[in-house]
Amino acid sequence: MLRRIRRAWRSRAARRFFSNRLAAVGLVIILLYAAVGLAVLGADAVKALGERTGWFDLTRYKLLDMLTVERADEVVGPYEMRGMGLKNTPEERLRFVRTYLDEFDRATAPRVRDKEAAVARIRYGQRHAADLPPAELRKIVKEAEKLYGEVAQSDDLDADPEMLPKLEELEALTATLFAPLTGVDRVIQGYMLSLGTDRQGRSIMGRAVYSIKVAIQIGLVVAVISVLLGSLIGAAAAFFGGWVDHVVVWLYSTLSSLPDLVLLGVLVFMFTGSIFDDVTRPYLSLVPIYAAMCLTFWIGPCRVVRGEVMKIKQLEYVQAATAIGFGRLTILLRHALPNTVHLMFINFSLLFIAAIKNEVVLSFLGLGVKVGPSWGRMIQESTQQVINGFFWQIGAATVFMFVLVLAFNIVSDALQDAFDPKHVG
Amino acid sequence: MWAYIIRRLLYSIPVYLGIILIVMAALRVNDPVNAYLGKNASPETVALKRQAMGLDEPFIVQYGRFVVRVATLNFGDPTSTDPRERFESWKYEGQPVGRKLAEAIGPSLSLTVPAMILSTLVSIIVGLLSAYFRGTLLDRSLMFLVVLGMSVSVLVFIILGQKFGGFWLPERLGVPLFASSGYEPWVKWGEGPLGLPRVSLGTWAHYCLLPVLIYVVVAMGYDSRFYRAVMVEETGRDYITTAVAKGATKKKIMFVHMLKNAMIPIITRVMITLPFLIAGSILLEYQFRIPGMGKLIIDAIREKDFPIIQTFTAVFAAVFILSNILTDVLYALVDPRVRLS
Repeated sequence: MLRRIRRAWRSRAARRFFSNRLAAVGLVIILLYAAVGLAVLGADAVKALGERTGWFDLTRYKLLDMLTVERADEVVGPYEMRGMGLKNTPEERLRFVRTYLDEFDRATAPRVRDKEAAVARIRYGQRHAADLPPAELRKIVKEAEKLYGEVAQSDDLDADPEMLPKLEELEALTATLFAPLTGVDRVIQGYMLSLGTDRQGRSIMGRAVYSIKVAIQIGLVVAVISVLLGSLIGAAAAFFGGWVDHVVVWLYSTLSSLPDLVLLGVLVFMFTGSIFDDVTRPYLSLVPIYAAMCLTFWIGPCRVVRGEVMKIKQLEYVQAATAIGFGRLTILLRHALPNTVHLMFINFSLLFIAAIKNEVVLSFLGLGVKVGPSWGRMIQESTQQVINGFFWQIGAATVFMFVLVLAFNIVSDALQDAFDPKHVG
Repeated sequence: MWAYIIRRLLYSIPVYLGIILIVMAALRVNDPVNAYLGKNASPETVALKRQAMGLDEPFIVQYGRFVVRVATLNFGDPTSTDPRERFESWKYEGQPVGRKLAEAIGPSLSLTVPAMILSTLVSIIVGLLSAYFRGTLLDRSLMFLVVLGMSVSVLVFIILGQKFGGFWLPERLGVPLFASSGYEPWVKWGEGPLGLPRVSLGTWAHYCLLPVLIYVVVAMGYDSRFYRAVMVEETGRDYITTAVAKGATKKKIMFVHMLKNAMIPIITRVMITLPFLIAGSILLEYQFRIPGMGKLIIDAIREKDFPIIQTFTAVFAAVFILSNILTDVLYALVDPRVRLS
């Protein structure tokens, strides 16, 4: 096995692939994404394990905990904050202050019985209420309300130079309601707010990073299953010929006479109302997507491998193997299939891209990922924001996806050139 | 020729029956009535719905009925008293599926036909240019741009295009240039002089031009890369060497000799995207709220409108198969070497 890998590493095609510097960069990017995806997957798994067994509590290890889905779904600030340390417009900053004041006002209102607990419940990501008695906090809120009233009177905050210092003062006053952030907490809060917040005040960065895992998971599962399934079926069809071939060809020409998106939609519909469509079972919610995509995408590798095995069947070494007396299955698995591995690789990277892109499209149409973040959901949620001129969410989802898909596009082009130079298109 | 076409048609019947079989089976894996009505529906309502759709019959009977329906193109008769004959959409009660289908074809075509023609022309030109200037800075930067464009999700083009074309630009210019969404029929049958249809290109441009342009930008990436590869492959052929030896100019070789010979892959490519004409740029229709077939089927899947899903998929498949046959016939017309034996 090791010798085989070393031989493959030294082969001409592999050298040709790695001599393409762009492709090497693409590969490194893909590995980076995979590493992040793995970290997110690990964090989720460890957290679930900790909760199940009660052995440990991941929330204490904050740097790992920040990658989990709970943190990605958590409110970390007022909605539609800008990222990268950019300031929002004065109107929006006033709105942020309003959000905080309302929150504290509600928690310390006279009719609330357990004010301590209500205040303790106030959380924006890592930020929580200052360590003051509720009465003290209420005093600060009242004071800030007065200032707020003055600032809010201005019709146009931008054009009013007097008001800006007042707004800053108000912000500083509001900040005293929260406990100061220190150490890791500060780093994490900075990371969470680094790309701003979405419509519900959740961290765009946290969601975009979590979506890496979702995308890679879908890409990997779909590409591996459909390539293996397609190649096996295609090879079998070519090798055995006769009615097997007829059935396979009929099956894939039948399935491919529907546009991909329609076929995917119908296959997803197949699962509506089943246990896979149940919000209480989030771990099953991706199964319809996997199934729909695998049933749609196995056709590509099947066609290609079938054609290649048809060719290989006529070659001398297959005839030699037959003459020696190997069985047909042995010849198929030991001699024919290994010689289509390069096609499988190329198809794998093509299908990986297709899966990621289709996930985004399906989620956008409301047929894909239903639980937890994904780039498709982020784009879908951002359509209204884009019209209002807020581009952080669509920008983040697009850039994260763009880099990964571009890397895969480059790598699959290089694979194509290295292993299959005669291919067109 | 006719014998060939008929043979192809006959051969595609099993494929078509197969797709209907698979789709019908897939749609019944989960009870469509339950999916539509939810868990809280009373058994009587469920039974009534099931009966109205003929879902209480054995699968083979349903299959036979639906095949007959497709073969006779009878997707519901609104005047009938038998609910099974009315074949109504579940979401739009009182409207036979056939009427929804007829209503949706127009908007779909007025978006996709111009999109198709324009994008093919633009992509061929870009592909030719790229191949003509192969290896130069122009070629490389064009192809680099194309790969960049391909790596961005289609949705981003659509959403940003809608924002800038539909909201930002009209606001800037002060003229309602493009609609941000919506659709109005732009051909009014029998309203013009002499009973001719009245055509209003302005209305069309208002609602459809922006999606068409977005489609061209998106499709250009995929198509021009392909056309370039085709052209580059043709440059290695012997007839090019012959033409060069005879002293033909590079331009002439490119646009006369090569373009003609590259017609086969080009036709294949165009025909492959033909079914798209009907399936529509589903996403464009969806985002711009153009009531075409693409938007209708996505809405139907979301609303679990079973009769529409089943019928529309059958129609899509039929269009696809017909366009495949058309492709082969066109081959024969373009390339005399293709014998129709």
